[in-house]
Amino acid sequence: MKQKKGLVWIALILLLAFAAAGCGSSGEEPTAKEEVIRVAVAGPMAFVQGEHHWMGAEMAAQEINDAGGIKVGDKNYKYELIKVDTNELMSVSDAATAVERAITEQKADFITGTIRTEAALAIQDVAMDYKKIFMVAGASFIGLADKVEEDYERYKYWFRISPINGNLLAQTSLLLLQDVSKVLREDLNIETPKVALVFEKAQAGDALAAAAQQVVPSFGMEVVGLWRPSPTATDLTAELTAIQDSGAHIIYTYFSAASGVPYAKQWGELQIPAVSVGINVEAQAQGFMAATDGRGNYEYTLNTYGPVEITDKTLPFYNEFIKRNGEYPTYNAGGTYDSLYILKEAIERAGTLDQDAIVVEMEKTDMDSTIGRFVFDEKHDVTWGPGYVTAVGTQWQDGKLVCTWPNGWQGITYPGTVEYKLPPWVVEAYK
Amino acid sequence: MTGYLYHLYQAFKEEILFLPSRLIALVGIIALVLLPLFSQSPYTLKVFTLASIFAILAASWDLLSGFVGQLNLGHALFFGVAAYTSALLNLHYGLSPWMTIPLGALMAVVTGMLVGIPALRLRGQYLSLATLAFPLILTGIIYVFPDFTGGELGVSGLSRLSNSRLADYYITVGLALGLGFLMWKITDSKIGLIFHAIREDEIAVRAAGINTTKYKLLAFAFSGFFAGISGGLYAHVMRLAGPSTLDVFMSFQPIIWTAFGGIATIYGAIIGVYLLYPFMEVLRIVPEYRMLIFAVIIILVLRIMPQGLSPWVIERIQKECPRCKRHNAFTRKTCKACGTSLEKPSLGGDSFKLEVKTSE
Repeated sequence: MKQKKGLVWIALILLLAFAAAGCGSSGEEPTAKEEVIRVAVAGPMAFVQGEHHWMGAEMAAQEINDAGGIKVGDKNYKYELIKVDTNELMSVSDAATAVERAITEQKADFITGTIRTEAALAIQDVAMDYKKIFMVAGASFIGLADKVEEDYERYKYWFRISPINGNLLAQTSLLLLQDVSKVLREDLNIETPKVALVFEKAQAGDALAAAAQQVVPSFGMEVVGLWRPSPTATDLTAELTAIQDSGAHIIYTYFSAASGVPYAKQWGELQIPAVSVGINVEAQAQGFMAATDGRGNYEYTLNTYGPVEITDKTLPFYNEFIKRNGEYPTYNAGGTYDSLYILKEAIERAGTLDQDAIVVEMEKTDMDSTIGRFVFDEKHDVTWGPGYVTAVGTQWQDGKLVCTWPNGWQGITYPGTVEYKLPPWVVEAYK
Repeated sequence: MTGYLYHLYQAFKEEILFLPSRLIALVGIIALVLLPLFSQSPYTLKVFTLASIFAILAASWDLLSGFVGQLNLGHALFFGVAAYTSALLNLHYGLSPWMTIPLGALMAVVTGMLVGIPALRLRGQYLSLATLAFPLILTGIIYVFPDFTGGELGVSGLSRLSNSRLADYYITVGLALGLGFLMWKITDSKIGLIFHAIREDEIAVRAAGINTTKYKLLAFAFSGFFAGISGGLYAHVMRLAGPSTLDVFMSFQPIIWTAFGGIATIYGAIIGVYLLYPFMEVLRIVPEYRMLIFAVIIILVLRIMPQGLSPWVIERIQKECPRCKRHNAFTRKTCKACGTSLEKPSLGGDSFKLEVKTSE
């Protein structure tokens, strides 16, 4: 009897699942009459990165469709988005089959999204097998772009929209470091700032550690120590007190995982007499202030967005996104958003939906995106530099995220940029 | 010639057609072989290709943990070692998959030995915890030598397994069925008997004079070999080998599939994968609830069928003869081999009469 009941439960659940699928599958079947361009938005939809992929793409698709759609020759096409949950943070094979299904069963013509590099590599191969344009909005691994150079004919359908690749992220964070050292020299008369390097124990941290130790002395600064905390560390008081003992004036950071929160919170609580600058991905998020119990002020991190007008597309996107979704957009959301606009321009220039022709036009892209003047380099990667995409430096001041860099760097200052502020306890310590 | 064929046919009739479970298995095998006739969609073929690879992995886990009772919570170690070995040999030395996969499997065997020798000093839960640690250790080592191993990002750009999706499909399905059959035969042999005995009562086996450590190491070796084959196949089908192959999720998947399909049966593991893996793909129509439904189904099945799906089904379609232990179809009334009645005796009715004689 118990077995019969159990079987009935299983049958009921399966029935409910398929019923829910039946109700919710509107938009999955290809609509025959309307002219549509199907774009698969691929990301880990149960996590914030995937959610942002979807929210950014949805916003762009709606804006473009409301404005009339995409003109291909003399026909008007609309964007139709396919939400593809890659589950890439848990399983790479899941991600690859999800995208393959999107292409073969759901008839996606273009793909945008992804975050995890291993999954991006697997999805890249799937997309290239089917010769579908794949625009990355999350993975920064430079190897993805190298493939375009190594085997152009196969990999030419791959493009990166965001972020700037790993090497450029490191390079730009070093610019932030120099910026801060200048402030210390001018305001606090510290001629040779001492720098403590704190890079989480991850591969990107390894590369940065090697580079920083070589490069920082050439900026007229002294490296006083290297700390490698675990990406899942919840207590960094040991590292912070050691840093205080070393007499460091600057803490140069790389945090891409959760440990960025306890780091900043304890740095603020202990009032370590050193400024904090570098990359702290947690500090890019809206919830950072709450997560650090209000102690995260003055944390200074490289970012894709800040409340500044990088181009005239930035603030409308930034503000509308916050209005619609209640949180700051990340480079995942901006990536998928920009990818749909860049794709639109390329399709319209090509006048056809032929992938090869669109690739040629994509390579000629030169337009304002939300992150700057957007041009692809020869490896189909984001071109970085003054006048192009530079990224921004954002600092938390009075519980709000503001943009403080570039502030005159190479003559560039985005409207809305404010002055960098030294934490008051640091000023006190070195007066 | 005809005599031989006739005997073959008789054997076929006796062993396969006779038992409903084997008939179902035969139908399943034919369905797998003929699947491409019904659907040449590359997506469907890819799903079943991956299912075949994971079927080999699950069966290899069952061989070690189901049969020998050494609960291995770090089976991904063999999978990952072989995937990385195949990948690195392919990338740096240009060896073809036909060479890299067996070499990867051999590397997994060596790893199994290296891991087994210290681990087998432990018993029960302690062995399981130790096995859990090994893939994590290897992941750490991989991160320490990123130039050689690709670090967190893995090794990519590998050769394909074969030139077409269809050929991939047949290679993996063929290997899954072939290696699965081989594993099943191992469990059915004298070695298998010892494995089984070790699980039930290791002390008794040792008392009988058998070196159980040697046999446990043998089990690690077999299990590692077959898991290694599946790891090598995976690397060449995905064209990528990364730290995800050593993930704890990858260790737990074969356990879930095998527990669902029928533990300690080999065929249960294979059936579990071929049912659950495509089912997970079908569940993509409800992406938000996919994992949840999967978990709920597994929990429910294990509630009503604690031994797994296959033993439950077999219990219903076959009867074991009480005298000679031969399995018979459920429709039969008497055992084919010894003629004993298969009916369960019912108390009361016509079977026997109990008479009480009162003294006159």
